[in-house]
Amino acid sequence: MNEFFIRLSRIDRRYIFLFVAVSVIIPLLYPLHYPTRVTRHTRAVFDIVDQIPPDSNPILISFEYGPSTMPECHPMAYAILRHSFARKVRVIGITLSADATGLGEEAMQTIAREYDREYGRDYVFLGYKPGVTAVMLSIGEDLKRTFPRDYYGRPTSEIPMLVEVHNYEQIPLVIPLTGSATATFWLIYAGARYHARVADGVTAVMASELYAYLQTKQLSGMLAGLKGAAEYEHLVRSAGYTLSEGRASRGMDALSTLHLVIILFIILGNIGFFLSRRAAGKGPRS
Amino acid sequence: MKRRIPLTICLFCGLFFTIQFFIPHHQVRQVYADGLRWLIVVATFAIVMALGSLITHHGRKVRRRDKDWSYSLVTLLALLGMSIAGFATGTRPGTLFNKLFLNVQVPMQSTMFGILAFYIASASYRAFRARSKEATLLLLSAFLLMLSAVSFIGYYFPRITAISEWLLMVPNMASQRGILFGVFLGTLATSIKIILGIERGWMGGGR
Repeated sequence: MNEFFIRLSRIDRRYIFLFVAVSVIIPLLYPLHYPTRVTRHTRAVFDIVDQIPPDSNPILISFEYGPSTMPECHPMAYAILRHSFARKVRVIGITLSADATGLGEEAMQTIAREYDREYGRDYVFLGYKPGVTAVMLSIGEDLKRTFPRDYYGRPTSEIPMLVEVHNYEQIPLVIPLTGSATATFWLIYAGARYHARVADGVTAVMASELYAYLQTKQLSGMLAGLKGAAEYEHLVRSAGYTLSEGRASRGMDALSTLHLVIILFIILGNIGFFLSRRAAGKGPRS
Repeated sequence: MKRRIPLTICLFCGLFFTIQFFIPHHQVRQVYADGLRWLIVVATFAIVMALGSLITHHGRKVRRRDKDWSYSLVTLLALLGMSIAGFATGTRPGTLFNKLFLNVQVPMQSTMFGILAFYIASASYRAFRARSKEATLLLLSAFLLMLSAVSFIGYYFPRITAISEWLLMVPNMASQRGILFGVFLGTLATSIKIILGIERGWMGGGR
């Protein structure tokens, strides 16, 4: 028996790869519909968007993710846009990463069609602007001078929903969706300098860096990785704003199963490790 | 002259952007806003420089037939192909550029990132062993965090979620805050050195 566990601590990596592949593919093909528990940081973002009056000042979503972090951030964009468009909350879309231009535009157009929202009245996409921090600061001075034209070449001064929007003072919430350090830059440059209310949607690896800002309330809320996106989807669905399950919820089934498989391998590895040390007459080092 | 002019511009801009923060006069705000737009223009030039650097680097590798030069050739061809598609058809939905981006670049880049899951699973299996007290602590916290990330565990065992949140909000935040203080004090010190011309590495020239 001991020999069996010791062998389990030296499993060939190809078998691990096989288990990983199976644990991801099966839940994607046959959704398991695991229940979701919503964290307070996700609920905080939902509540802010939920309290913005319909057809009032727009929220700003900054798409800052590329195809590599798309599986985590794109479902967040879909869920927040569904929530906003269902409640007739206006949305300004920008990107600070060239990679994200196509993705951001696709997300806005897709969800706008789903809720029959009109470009220029309910939403606007201003496209990509290089300079990251300079753009964040410049929006604080004048949005329309920072983006003189939208993504399609139309002067922003002629777009109806932007007539009353000059800077962060008219934007009730800024939501950067990112897998990079720009999540913190928004807090420093838009939040601290211009008192903009910021809620981040970040990849899971980025989330641990932002807890300090959540505690100080500089960050109003946070969607952390695919889990955060799935929680937001759950809230949007529970509130009756959509009937569709959403990409993150389906992805979360696969991710949860994968986590369980990894946990199982770690347990097996440690049992084997202890048994092999005991067999060799060594205890754990302090 | 070649060094003095950039150093003077740097000193002037550095001091102005610092001082303007404390002067809410409308004329100062106007100069500041103009300065920010200049910054955006300069950032655009950086993209042109990056493009030039990419072409020079990979072009040299292809010309000299250096190791793995074929990958450099693919990079250059892809750059040329996407540029032609972009200039010829535009970048809006339905154009060739957009189709190439959504159906070639997005799946390729996502796949590259997705492969990480396999390596992380294999690495966790080998690395998370209770070899010492410190390793056991790391193992336990990783174990709890992974467990709380499983949807139904968080749902049926809220205490596990509460513990993992405590790990993130207390020990993790304390260390992150320490790191942040260090990073921002370092940034401040380096910025002052650059503004005063003590640190000149940004001008190139190897000094």
